Amino acid sequence: MKFILMMTAKKADWDEYTKWSKGDLERNVAFMRAFSKELKDSGVFVATEGLAWPGEAKMVHAGKNGEPITDGVFPESKEFLAGYWIIDVESPEQAYKIAARVSAAPGPGGKSGSLPVEVRPVLGSHADLGL
Amino acid sequence: MKYILLMTGTKVGVESYLAWSQKDRDAHMTVLQRIAKELTSSGEFVSTQGLAGPEEANVVRGEKGGMPVTDGVFPESKEFLLGYWIVDVATRERAYAIAGRISAAPGPGGMPTNMPIEVRGFATYPGPGSDRR
Repeated sequence: MKFILMMTAKKADWDEYTKWSKGDLERNVAFMRAFSKELKDSGVFVATEGLAWPGEAKMVHAGKNGEPITDGVFPESKEFLAGYWIIDVESPEQAYKIAARVSAAPGPGGKSGSLPVEVRPVLGSHADLGL
Repeated sequence: MKYILLMTGTKVGVESYLAWSQKDRDAHMTVLQRIAKELTSSGEFVSTQGLAGPEEANVVRGEKGGMPVTDGVFPESKEFLLGYWIVDVATRERAYAIAGRISAAPGPGGMPTNMPIEVRGFATYPGPGSDRR
């Protein structure tokens, strides 16, 4: 079963993150690297991506003639996707366990975090749809 | 440059989609499949993924006694990720144009849904989630 683990954050959280000390950032990055490697080594890894900052986000909707209309203004409360992992595991419980590990990634002062990580099954991919 | 096109919706939005006629849904999916095919032909396609419904979502926050702490209750206003497309395009404007086409996919009665599609680049910094470090 494939699951997606989504880490989201508001702009304010992002601003907070930019204030972390270099040591704190390095610890966090080292954890994330080890985490990805572990997923790969255990054979559950499918994909991961980290997204650009919310400042680069644009909302697009189609205009009358199908032309793209862009808007870069978002409510303060908007949760931006920061990054995700797709894993292929035996059960939802295994996905939750893995999500908990990344939720506990070290934050400022090396303290374990408890960031919320949304976990959901994924449906068909491009290949699954026979495209 | 790679961009991600994110389609999000609230529970209410998903419920109204489930109430569409089969014909409307087929017409919608046909257009999305055509867009994916065109992107494959033009070499701009990287990946796409549809997610399961919000009712299957859980949020995990840390651990208690070695077990993950899960919660399946969300505010009504929460925007759930419904699916995404990753494209590799020459310009940001091209990514917007593709997002516009997806947004213009037909909804009930063949009218365009005009759903908002969020467009973002990928991290080039050592941030959360990135494995390019």
